[in-house]
Amino acid sequence: MSRYIIRRLIQAIPVLLGATLLIYAIVFALPGDPIAALMGEKRMDPNLVTIMREQYHLNDPFLVQYWYYLVGLFGGDFGTTFAGVPVTDIMAGKFQVTINLAMTALVMEAVIGVGLGLYAALRHGRAQDSMVLASTLVLISIPTLVTGFVLQLLLGVKVGLFPVAGVTDGWRSYLLPGFVLAGTSIAYLTRLTRTSLVETLRADYIRTAVAKGLPRRRVVGRHALRNALIPLITYLGADLGTLMGGAVITETIFNLPGIGQQLFSSVYLREQSVVVGIVTVLVLIYILANLIVDLLYAVLDPRIRYE
Amino acid sequence: MRVTKGARITAGTALLALGLAACGGQSSTGGGTASADQPVRMELGEPQKLFYPGDTTESEGSEVLAAVFAPLVSYDENKQVVDDVAESIKTTDNKTWTIKLKPGYTWHNDEPLIAQNYVDAWNYAANQDNVQGANGFFSRVEGWADLNPGEGKTVSTKGMKGLKVVDDSTFKVTLSKPFSQFKTMLGYTSFYPLPKAAFGEDGKVTEAYAKQPIGQGYFKFDKPYNKGTDQSIDLTRYDKFPGEKPKFDKLQFKIYSSAETAFNDLRAGNLDVHDSLPPSAIASAKAELGERYMDEADAGVGYIGFPMQYNKTYANVKVREAISLAIDRKTIAETVFSGTRAPADDFINPLLDGYRPGACAVCTYDPAKAKSQYAANGGPKTLELGYNSDGPHKEWIEAVANNLRANLGVQVTVKPFEKFASILDELDEKTYGGMFRMGWAIDYPSAENYLTPVFSTVAIKTGSNYAGWSNKAFDDLLAKGDGAATQAQGLKYYQQADDILIKELPYIPVYFYRTNAAFSQHVKGVKINLLNQVEWTKVEKVA
Repeated sequence: MSRYIIRRLIQAIPVLLGATLLIYAIVFALPGDPIAALMGEKRMDPNLVTIMREQYHLNDPFLVQYWYYLVGLFGGDFGTTFAGVPVTDIMAGKFQVTINLAMTALVMEAVIGVGLGLYAALRHGRAQDSMVLASTLVLISIPTLVTGFVLQLLLGVKVGLFPVAGVTDGWRSYLLPGFVLAGTSIAYLTRLTRTSLVETLRADYIRTAVAKGLPRRRVVGRHALRNALIPLITYLGADLGTLMGGAVITETIFNLPGIGQQLFSSVYLREQSVVVGIVTVLVLIYILANLIVDLLYAVLDPRIRYE
Repeated sequence: MRVTKGARITAGTALLALGLAACGGQSSTGGGTASADQPVRMELGEPQKLFYPGDTTESEGSEVLAAVFAPLVSYDENKQVVDDVAESIKTTDNKTWTIKLKPGYTWHNDEPLIAQNYVDAWNYAANQDNVQGANGFFSRVEGWADLNPGEGKTVSTKGMKGLKVVDDSTFKVTLSKPFSQFKTMLGYTSFYPLPKAAFGEDGKVTEAYAKQPIGQGYFKFDKPYNKGTDQSIDLTRYDKFPGEKPKFDKLQFKIYSSAETAFNDLRAGNLDVHDSLPPSAIASAKAELGERYMDEADAGVGYIGFPMQYNKTYANVKVREAISLAIDRKTIAETVFSGTRAPADDFINPLLDGYRPGACAVCTYDPAKAKSQYAANGGPKTLELGYNSDGPHKEWIEAVANNLRANLGVQVTVKPFEKFASILDELDEKTYGGMFRMGWAIDYPSAENYLTPVFSTVAIKTGSNYAGWSNKAFDDLLAKGDGAATQAQGLKYYQQADDILIKELPYIPVYFYRTNAAFSQHVKGVKINLLNQVEWTKVEKVA
């Protein structure tokens, strides 16, 4: 087991290197001079521009620039922004917010999604089942942008049930944005749970379990749900990455200073060091989440073993 | 300079444009109760950098620094420059300026404010080794060139020879050429002083200082600001401040990434002052807030530029006039921009002294004259119009294009560029030769600032003269204005220079910006000054 984990972690190294190179190249290829763009549409003093370009190695060829970045990275130095702020400082603060948001969303997704799916599957073919299917369809078809604005206006501004924006209200700040962010995933997960469970409930071993007189709670909980969980765990693991990196819209609407917003503005300003730094950490999180998912398979299904 | 706010609004707009439809409708104007110790809460976009006064050239950082520092001069309600921290600023030749400070000012760490603090700060900002964004503001001071020998060369002097301390409360500034508007510049962020405590052992302004700047103004920082993490900047009134103090104790800047979100927070009672309402919020702000909605002139101007240096197609001034006459500025300002702009009729903005209503006669809408004049002068059959798609420009550029199509009977291609700089790059490489959009926000409130940086011959290389237009008579009038004995006389020359612009039309002025602000029922007396900053001494809390 531990050998398997170590092997997987070693495999992660080329993936990480490849990812940094790729992202670095993509940001490099964006048009425009990032230094000149610092002053918006006004012309910066040409002398200052040359000095700053030299300072950030912007006159060197691509591979040389990448090399400087890698050397720094192995020394634990993620570089600085063009405004001189260390990237590690920026990431520390922003990742805290994003992790809070993503975890809130993930818990909501798991609890509501699996709960609703279970409810629908056990009432398969009845009115409640159709209700769940119809409402998830509606949820899937409304963009995050719309749910975000509408819920902020209704529950935040009008009713005052949740904070409108910002992270100054502690965990309460994350409830509404967490739900908005998890919205479509909740709907998908509900449908996935329902289908997976309905299928499992038709399996032979379930009939056996029922035939040997086990209580229904035990049949559904121990035998059916446990097997049905495997695709759900896969989905949740993959979704964690999306929730962390793709929350730009939710973060903007609710004014949460997270990774998504930072990525958006850094790509806009062509701040390679920030973009690559964030993406590297995101890739790492993705790899770890996948590893955990794979290990969970073994827990759920004893037939799966890693040697 | 409103760099960050522009970028932020852009980002917000691009992302949220689709969602605005969902944002309409009525809502209550917010609950929330004001307790006595609750601060006045002000909307802010994330400052671009930490607070180095010499490196803060954008609106958001300046807004914070303006609360913490007191400027040498400020601007009164009649748009005139008045002494603030300065007791007197005297000159006889517009070249040597003697600045005397009022007594009684202290830094927030109890050091007294002395003339040396100004000289230290200015020398620091002007030195190329310190890479400060406001470096160029000091280029008129004698000795600036010695501090800026160029890339790869070492700076050999300690400071500019044009700066001399006379005694603790007096210093002299010598400029390399007369400049009558120098006093007007002194109210700007870059001219704030720095205390001894700002400098580290290596002579550089420390990061610790930039996180919690020590100023000599009426508010002081409560704690260091961590950029990227902190969502608010908290200030407390500095009671030893000798000038007029605000009537409330605590001021809080709340950082928002979206102006729409900030407006919703204001409606919910979580924000008191919002000075950059997005166009999408104007209708509901007017309807819901009544008196608490403000619509005032802002010093920005938007133009359509001609690539005079690059493309001879637009060489005939009659053709340029016809294009200007064909643009329906009123509809663009009122409909496309929901009233957040006003039609432009001069190169100088109405907010400033020197503006003359209706000065630009060819800035009126006259489609019939446009068509005949365009045809008579053999205007080109096809026109190109470029804009940068990272800002909120597509709609109004399309509107202008439609005007030109309908009124001139020509084909107009609208060409988006990723960034404004891409337009300039393609003009340089001659791969694009069409008209382009351009905007200007002032650095200091003087009519001169609409002319020299955008249209003078020197500005082709070092300023923002992107058209590459050059006119000797214009340059001469600017020089005369810079050397004029009185402000009034200077203004006369600047207006004559403005007349040349109107006659030659290197750019077409299209609109003036407006400031659209809103405030909550917890405050009253909100006033916004020429530098786009709230006058905190006028604001009162309402229980």
